[in-house]
Amino acid sequence: MPRAAIAEGLRALLLLWLASLAAFAVVRAMPADPAVLSLVAFGQAADPDTVAALHREWGLDQALPLQYAAWLGDFLTGDWRRSFKTGAPILDEFAKRLPVSLIVGFGGLFVALLAVGPLARGAAKRPNGWAARVLDAATLGAQAIPAFWLGCLLLWFFAVELRVIDVLGEGPARYVLPILIVAFTGLGPLAQVYRAGLAEVSRADYFRTALAKGADPDTALEAQGGRYARLGLSAALTAEAGWVVGGTAVVEVVFGLPGLGTFLVDSIAMRDYFVLQAYIVVAAAWMLAIAFVAAGARHLLDPRLR
Amino acid sequence: MSHHAPAIVERRLWVLPALAGTALICAVWQPYAPDAIDMLNRHGAPTLAHWLGTDHLGRDVLARLMAGMGRTFLALGIVATMCVMLGLAVGLAAASTSGILRGALLRVAEFASVMPTLVVAIAIVSLLGFDAVTAGIALGLGAWGPYALLADGLARRALSEPYVQAARALGGTKSRLMFRHVLPAVLDTQLAYLGAKLGRIVIAYAALAFLGLGADSSRPDWGAMLFEYRLYMFDHPALMLWPGFAVVVTCAALRTALGQDRGARVPASSGDTAAALECADLHVHGAADNPVATGVETARRTG
Repeated sequence: MPRAAIAEGLRALLLLWLASLAAFAVVRAMPADPAVLSLVAFGQAADPDTVAALHREWGLDQALPLQYAAWLGDFLTGDWRRSFKTGAPILDEFAKRLPVSLIVGFGGLFVALLAVGPLARGAAKRPNGWAARVLDAATLGAQAIPAFWLGCLLLWFFAVELRVIDVLGEGPARYVLPILIVAFTGLGPLAQVYRAGLAEVSRADYFRTALAKGADPDTALEAQGGRYARLGLSAALTAEAGWVVGGTAVVEVVFGLPGLGTFLVDSIAMRDYFVLQAYIVVAAAWMLAIAFVAAGARHLLDPRLR
Repeated sequence: MSHHAPAIVERRLWVLPALAGTALICAVWQPYAPDAIDMLNRHGAPTLAHWLGTDHLGRDVLARLMAGMGRTFLALGIVATMCVMLGLAVGLAAASTSGILRGALLRVAEFASVMPTLVVAIAIVSLLGFDAVTAGIALGLGAWGPYALLADGLARRALSEPYVQAARALGGTKSRLMFRHVLPAVLDTQLAYLGAKLGRIVIAYAALAFLGLGADSSRPDWGAMLFEYRLYMFDHPALMLWPGFAVVVTCAALRTALGQDRGARVPASSGDTAAALECADLHVHGAADNPVATGVETARRTG
């Protein structure tokens, strides 16, 4: 076990290193010079002297391998450099924005999970009942309706037609619609997996035996199949949670939330090299961390792995 | 399993050529030029001449939607081709070798799966500039990883099947084994998985166009139209509805034809691919003893 854990850790490090290399390569290959873009954005003339001075200040006049090595060293020691655009330390900016993305992402998954249990149990028990219909409709909806369009529609309905939500104001109210949208997109996949697990158990011989012994169907389903179905659910949840740092960008842009996603989109437009490099490494690290947590959860839920 | 009909044959497949045909017509012919500006007819109501009305620059909304459909399907075709070809090439290569080369191929595929598709696509699109072709390539580069891991798992499983072992014992060459026995088994599941994901690709393309990233907004992409028209939410909300409807109808039609995306159940053939597969929104059941037959059958049923 310790050897396997060490190998696993080394593999994760290798993937992260590859991610940092890819991040550096992709970001530097982007056309347009960040120094020129910054000067234009601040209404300054982009004369060669000023551009060269900015390059020197940002360390962009060095050879690329040296730049990469210097950046990696700084990054590992917690100096993520400063944003070209805001001049603020990138680490601080991430620390400020990550909670916004996490609230939207995990808030949405949490709301979805609240509905998963009842819907999936109902659908597993009665394949043609109302729970199954609601679940199938929600799944189709989540696969067919783009989150940003749904966001625009909800904004229009609640903010323009009904005027019940002050979406542009500060405060917790502005998180309500984004969280509901993430919950809507996550509900279908999560509940379908849970339902499939329960349905599989309800067809198994040992479940019929339990019923024959006189067990109450609901209790027996939970006792015999709850753990098995949650094992599937945890895998599905992993896939959805991986989405939190990579995929909420469109929802954040629609609602103007100051999360990591909007930061990413703004930074790409400004070719904010160090922000983009940090973002890609953080996104990859997030994916790996989620996979690690999921492996732990599987270990707890699945006695066959012990 | 190579004797079964491909899984997607059971679906209502006539929808697919109908959609592709419509997309082709839309790509080559529109009632008006999609970017023809007519400032005297801004925000025109639907009429016989302009069925869906005109937008804030007097452009015909229907013509823009039609051009957008052509572009969407061009991108969709590119992504689908890249995912299947890259997935098969890397996956089958990994399955038929061993040692360092196999490890390297799998690490690359894992890496491609770990990177979030939209983030990779955004970076590449800002590198190449946005149009249907570059966006298709960008989304394809962000999405092929799981297909390679899937192909590797299925191919290794197929190679150990008795009938493939028998063919090998009879003296079949490795390339013949791969093409005659392994490829059909892999391709079947690969296409079923792809079919279930097509709707997601349409939405991802729209999301990429929506984010825009400084590209000019005159492109008639459904996502870009949404981004542009959402500013007229207060006075002309109908403008915002049409591009969204177009995405929804397309995705619903794809689902009708190819089944739904519940996530193919992939055998966790080895612990090392499982983690990456999960990141790539495959729903892996962790047990290593999960037979591939279950995975294939589930894929047949659900997509």
